[in-house]
Amino acid sequence: MFDIFKSMLKEEWRMHSNLFGNNGFSLFPVFIFLFTFFVSLVLPIFREIFTYAQIALGMHYFFLLLGSMVGAFGLMGREFMNRRFGQASMIAYSSRTLPVSERLIFANFLVKDVVYYFALYVLPFVAGFALAAALIPAGNFHFPFTLLFLLLTLSLSFMIGLSLVFFLSTIYAHSGKLLTLGLLAGCVFLLSISGNLDSGIFYSLPSLSFFLLSSKSQFLLSSGLIIIPSALSLFFLKVDFPQAKKSFPNSFSRLCGKFGSYRYAAFVAKDFLDLKRSEGGFGKLIFSFLLPAALIWMLLSALGKVLPALNILILISLVLGVLSSSMYNWLTEYDIFTSYAFFPLKVSDMIRNKLNSYLFLNLVPFILLILLTLKKDPAFLLPTLLLFLSISLYMVSILIYLTGLSPSINLYNGRTFAVYTLSVMPLLLVNVILSMFGPYYVLVNLLLVPLALYLLGQSFRKWDRIESPRF
Amino acid sequence: MIEVRNIFKFYGSTKAVNDISFSIGKGELFGLLGPNGSGKTTMIRMLTGQIKPTSGSVRVHGVDVLEDPIRVRELAGIVPEQETPPSFLTAEEYLYFVAKIRKMESYEKTCEKWFEFLDFGDQKNSLCKDLSRGTRQKLMFAQAFLHEPELAIIDEPLINLDPVIQRKVKDFLAGYVKNGGTVFISTHILEIAKQICTSIGIIYKGKLVYTGRLDDPTLQRRNFEDFFLDLVSRPGNSGTGLSIPAQYA
Ligand SMILES: Nc1ncnc2c1ncn2[C@@H]1O[C@H](COP(=O)(O)OP(=O)(O)OP(=O)(O)O)[C@@H](O)[C@H]1O
Ligand SMILES: [Mg+2]
Repeated sequence: MFDIFKSMLKEEWRMHSNLFGNNGFSLFPVFIFLFTFFVSLVLPIFREIFTYAQIALGMHYFFLLLGSMVGAFGLMGREFMNRRFGQASMIAYSSRTLPVSERLIFANFLVKDVVYYFALYVLPFVAGFALAAALIPAGNFHFPFTLLFLLLTLSLSFMIGLSLVFFLSTIYAHSGKLLTLGLLAGCVFLLSISGNLDSGIFYSLPSLSFFLLSSKSQFLLSSGLIIIPSALSLFFLKVDFPQAKKSFPNSFSRLCGKFGSYRYAAFVAKDFLDLKRSEGGFGKLIFSFLLPAALIWMLLSALGKVLPALNILILISLVLGVLSSSMYNWLTEYDIFTSYAFFPLKVSDMIRNKLNSYLFLNLVPFILLILLTLKKDPAFLLPTLLLFLSISLYMVSILIYLTGLSPSINLYNGRTFAVYTLSVMPLLLVNVILSMFGPYYVLVNLLLVPLALYLLGQSFRKWDRIESPRF
Repeated sequence: MIEVRNIFKFYGSTKAVNDISFSIGKGELFGLLGPNGSGKTTMIRMLTGQIKPTSGSVRVHGVDVLEDPIRVRELAGIVPEQETPPSFLTAEEYLYFVAKIRKMESYEKTCEKWFEFLDFGDQKNSLCKDLSRGTRQKLMFAQAFLHEPELAIIDEPLINLDPVIQRKVKDFLAGYVKNGGTVFISTHILEIAKQICTSIGIIYKGKLVYTGRLDDPTLQRRNFEDFFLDLVSRPGNSGTGLSIPAQYA
């Protein structure tokens, strides 16, 4: 039992460290530590604006989201892992060849994710925060007791997210349609009630209220939220996702035909089919995009009530711009350049193809933003849309410049991740501040468009120069 | 058709290809033979401009591969070592996709012909990721000839195919060469080389240790397998595995 666990941990470590060398990878937690440390140094300023409880709320929800993203990647991203490392190489999927039960392997898989990402994200985050809190007046975040407690409750948040996603993926394995419809309904519901919510409801996240009130019942509730969905998932585990259809009539030609003589038609059509036919189908869009967007919109709406100075439409445009760039990650997950290296195509051609698919996918956040703005305040339509477009373009061009065709792999390189964060965070901060002066100030961001185009040109050159990227 | 001059490829301290020169004329079916890890795939990837040689020059069809790798891949049909068609297209869609990449106008009939010829029409609506390895290899083979190239470069053409299909492919390649096409294949299956090649090269640890026509008298006089094994297991060359481990002997 413990052997499987150990080998899984080793496998995960080797997978990452092989990809960028040991140094690049161990820098990752170091970077998180330093980043949290420096951000936390400005805590006294935050304390002027936010209450202690609000800061705690932000952290706990951040880790909830992080947990669910890690879970989603681990479970839904299997397709991608298989393609890169071959079916047999991931221990989690080799239950058919090892003399142990699938259940045992998946239980191990879950625990491994918790331990591994705990070390990678949670621990360095809290350590950075703790160091800062020890140096500056941090209000109620007392050193060390409150901080150790924070370590516990943030971990709880993280695990709640992970375990909920695990549970959802098990439902999905039994009925994909049911889950997709359920989630879609959930998103619509969340978005529609977001305006008239009492912000108190956000404090009912058990790990958060456990931190704020430290009552035994909240601890039990948190643990329950972790253990029960995980146990249910293990009990009803189904390793093979439903792949009802094995045979598909040709949709490719029809899709291409729709695009007429558009230069990237074949590739956009192919990416569309990849998204549609891979595990989760368009459910991925709901799961990894609409749901987080809806959650953030709710949080922002609540925040807007407390701090009227914030323009939440501008903020949501920023958030959507950042979130959309993650769609570039999905698009690149179905392909390795090796599949194209023997065609008359350069790496830069493939990047251009992906970029075109990216622009099409951006229609989803674009429309969502239009709807939200119309609902909240139609007068802001122009600045929000322009802001969203320039941020999304800038984000994706940084991503492409730094990571080429393999963002989800290359971003784990500590150095790359640091550069990425540093070219994004200050920009976001500046925009949050600008938005307080009035919606039209953010149009300064249009200056990002030429910068992004320049970066893209440089990226094409950069990635063509690098010999046969292995991924 | 193919001109290789003093080509080297080093990966760190590994000399994957070490000073190789040869040339292949139009209408030849050239087989590059060699044991595992001897540098065959590396050679093919340099011929097709997928990787750059450390030094040396390659001309294919009059095109300098270093200067214009894209042009070479336009001209030649290539079957890579690993069959990796995108997972979520069906076999038929994949061929159409390739036709689009190669900017072909009408291709449905040609694709249909290949499904029939290689006998996998019943799989054309299956996703590539669900195909068996052999079927994927058929697909990759069809893909390479879709645009009717004058030159085909194939890494291990028959490795996963059943005897019936192997026969068809061999006959196809023979006919293709007869009609003026040129083929470069790599293989470590001597029998295949002997049956279909007009000339061969034997590569061992990155060095070309033999080149010549298959009807060369020195080759004709000897058992081909012995000849090959002699070349790749000279004294001092370990690792050909010719001695059986004691516990099995
Ligand atoms: N990208 C790479 N990085 C480092 N070494 C490599 C790389 N590609 C190939 N090699 C090394 O170059 C040598 C030749 O490899 P190559 O793949 O060309 O052999 P091969 O003749 O095709 O073998 P096989 O018959 O097994 O396909 C091997 O020692 C291999 O380990
Ligand atoms: Mg090879």
